[in-house]
Amino acid sequence: MPEPVISMQGITKRFPGVVALDDVSLEVLPGELHAICGENGAGKSTLMKILSGVYQPDAGSMMLAGETVRFSSTREAERAGVAIIHQELALVDDLPVLANVFLGRERRNRLGLLDDRGMARETARLLETLECGVSPRVRTGSLRVGDQQLIEIAKALSLDARILVMDEPTSALTESESARLERVIASLLARGTTILYISHKMEEVFRLADRITVLRDGHTVRTLDKDETSPREITSLMVGREISDSSAMPPRAPAEPLLEVRDLHLPWPGHVRGYRLDNVSLTLRRGEVLGVAGLMGAGRTELLETIFGVSDPSWRGTISLHGRSVRFTHPSEACAAGIAMVTEDRKRLGLFPDFDVAANISLTALDRARRGGLISRRAEEALVAEPIRATGVKTPGPHAAITGLSGGNQQKCIIGRWLLTKPEVLLLDDPTRGIDVGAKAELYTLIDRLCREGLGVILTSSELPELLTLSDRVIVLAEGRLTAELSRSEATEQRIMEAATAG
Amino acid sequence: MSDNQSTGRRWPAWSSEWTLLIAVVVAVLATTAIDSNHSYLYRPLESLRDIARNTALLGIFALGAAVVIIAGGIDLSLGSMIAFSGMVCGTTMLALAPEQMMAAKPVGGWVVAAGIGMSLLSGLAVGTLHAWMVTSIRLPPFIATLATLVGLRSLARALCESTTAALTPSKSAQIYVSDPFFKMLRDNVWISVAVFAVLALVTWVLLTRTILGRHVHALGGNEDAARLAGIRTENVKWFAYCFSAMTAALAGVFYVANESVAAPVNQGRGHELNAIAAAVVGGCSLAGGVGTVPGTVLGTIFLRVVIDAVSKVIKTGADVYEGLIVGVVVVIAVTFGQVGQRAGSRRLLPGPLGLAAIPVLALFSGGTVAMTSGAMPGVAAGVVALGLLGGLRAWESRSAAAG
Repeated sequence: MPEPVISMQGITKRFPGVVALDDVSLEVLPGELHAICGENGAGKSTLMKILSGVYQPDAGSMMLAGETVRFSSTREAERAGVAIIHQELALVDDLPVLANVFLGRERRNRLGLLDDRGMARETARLLETLECGVSPRVRTGSLRVGDQQLIEIAKALSLDARILVMDEPTSALTESESARLERVIASLLARGTTILYISHKMEEVFRLADRITVLRDGHTVRTLDKDETSPREITSLMVGREISDSSAMPPRAPAEPLLEVRDLHLPWPGHVRGYRLDNVSLTLRRGEVLGVAGLMGAGRTELLETIFGVSDPSWRGTISLHGRSVRFTHPSEACAAGIAMVTEDRKRLGLFPDFDVAANISLTALDRARRGGLISRRAEEALVAEPIRATGVKTPGPHAAITGLSGGNQQKCIIGRWLLTKPEVLLLDDPTRGIDVGAKAELYTLIDRLCREGLGVILTSSELPELLTLSDRVIVLAEGRLTAELSRSEATEQRIMEAATAG
Repeated sequence: MSDNQSTGRRWPAWSSEWTLLIAVVVAVLATTAIDSNHSYLYRPLESLRDIARNTALLGIFALGAAVVIIAGGIDLSLGSMIAFSGMVCGTTMLALAPEQMMAAKPVGGWVVAAGIGMSLLSGLAVGTLHAWMVTSIRLPPFIATLATLVGLRSLARALCESTTAALTPSKSAQIYVSDPFFKMLRDNVWISVAVFAVLALVTWVLLTRTILGRHVHALGGNEDAARLAGIRTENVKWFAYCFSAMTAALAGVFYVANESVAAPVNQGRGHELNAIAAAVVGGCSLAGGVGTVPGTVLGTIFLRVVIDAVSKVIKTGADVYEGLIVGVVVVIAVTFGQVGQRAGSRRLLPGPLGLAAIPVLALFSGGTVAMTSGAMPGVAAGVVALGLLGGLRAWESRSAAAG
């Protein structure tokens, strides 16, 4: 066995009130792709932030290629050849791409002024090796997430990083962007770069990794060779128990139509295509899950937002609820009509970080938490008890801080918030994004149960297996157009991908 | 993701209020001891009345500033709103009873009521204007209220000149108000204190126990999520800006009463910043979503107590230092608030910037002491500050190296 390039021993990191890492050890071999797996809160990101100098450990030692190191900043780690690509990208939106790549290490010409041309040339060269066709001079904020991620990688390459840490790099990517990233990763590995890779997606881990380290509750569980283990073993090591195979959901019996969309056209002024959605029709029945598949930019979110009355009201076509034509101009109207929507970006569009669990849930039904006209703490607790129970939120109590819950439990709180409005139609926009395996399975069970209780659910997801597991029918969008409608028996990953890339 | 657990820890909800209360008590005790006249001991009622008057006057519109800040906005126009509403009050009474106003005679109850009513209505109008600019035109609140900060004072002056030109023999830059009702407001401090107390109580119940108040917090905490949860965010903003402008309008009436004149050139000038400072000292976060009424009330009291303490210690010409005190209190209060929340893991004087800050801070404190107490104490204070800050720096560097 070769000498490890990274050796972390006995790493401990405490945050106020929490031990994030407790005596964690990790050894990474040169040139391998080492996957780090674990549920949310297991300490994966914290460990990687220590490796890359974002945090300093409270105890333990770290060796890089046999030398003991101690990074007090990311800059020091970068100098030693360690670069991290964070889950939430750290780019300055308003600067051009080249400025982001060279941020903090700007090149100057002979006059002491910025050498934009040289940096642009270098950036273009780096981006070319990454199959990324964007111009070094465009505004970074105008790029899609997938391209922004490659900018981060270009930045790491320009640092000559020998060790690259990627924290859930594909969580916001479309399938084709993920495929491109995998090709980039392969070429980095071929060049001898060592990659540490955090991911929730088992198939991805097993396709890419050489070895896998599992963390649980801030401890190292085990490091395994990929060839000697199975996804099932890894997931059970992550949660400490076997996960029931959720694909075996018994079939549901959809009833009468609830929501019908006919010939929906949502214009997109100023864009070459001219529309975000064109000629989209769908029917949602009571007691069914209708899956919406599509690559990023296909119009999944826009479809849900138009139904919910969020997007601009210039759409054409008809949306009818119980056979009556509706046109919502504000979410409050959709809500009153019995439609609920759980948004894609939980942190940005769903959570109130300053509110406790109870206040996050009760928000849509505060009129029922009043006694004598004023909100009563007791009445609010009583109001939220039912949704907390129904969705299975694990919380120390109704007045715990929402930010202390795991992503899965936060998502359950938001679903609970909407259950209080007694909806008939539930729109779920990628509800399991960034949620760990165990919590995903719980959410699947919850969605299934809500459906059997008579809700109609429209679900989008960036993961095809999830859509296939949950949906009674799947519609596929490509570039704003409906390209397929598949029943449960017809739907396969292959057919969905074909329709999604049909254009 | 996995860091959520660490940031989810919160301090007890009341801790900043308790800290402020203790700070107020400490400031009062220190002033009692240091003040060579010992006026808190010998003339407690008079001292209390002074502080109460100033606290009530500032507190009324600090509550308005706090509500807008909690809703995630900012209202910079409060000082000008005070001048404008005072002017509207004066103008209304001058228009309804020109002879009495010019002869400094009582104008009658309904004229006074009309004046105050119009002044509150002007608050409603300006609040609506703010909300319209912020929600419909989509101006940043800072810009919208900066425009009215500048514009309203000018408008008030124009209003004054044109009405006095039309209704009195000569154009004037102010309107004297000498009706007995206003004299009573001026001479009886406890009226303004009572108004402040009732307003604070109403605002407290509103923010903590009503749906509208919950929506104000939600709007400030996460505006997009609030809208997607079905909250009519534009209406909540409308309320917040109207509430804020109306508290300033109410304060404007008290300003006119206190000075027996509606004088738009200088009345309330710069006072919007004191109100914002009081809210911030009281724990309101300019990022929105965070803040309480008790905190704001205590922040106001603390600010006024410290200002009063300095005037007691310095004796003459203390008003020069009022702005300096407000600035220092804001910086210290927010600094310690943050350090508390981050469990002391952050250094106050790190790196070259921290090193450069040491002589700057020493120079400012030494200079201030020199101007108030003479050259020698000034030099001494500067040296002491230099020593203390240097010591703090050395201690921080050592514990950082050790930790």
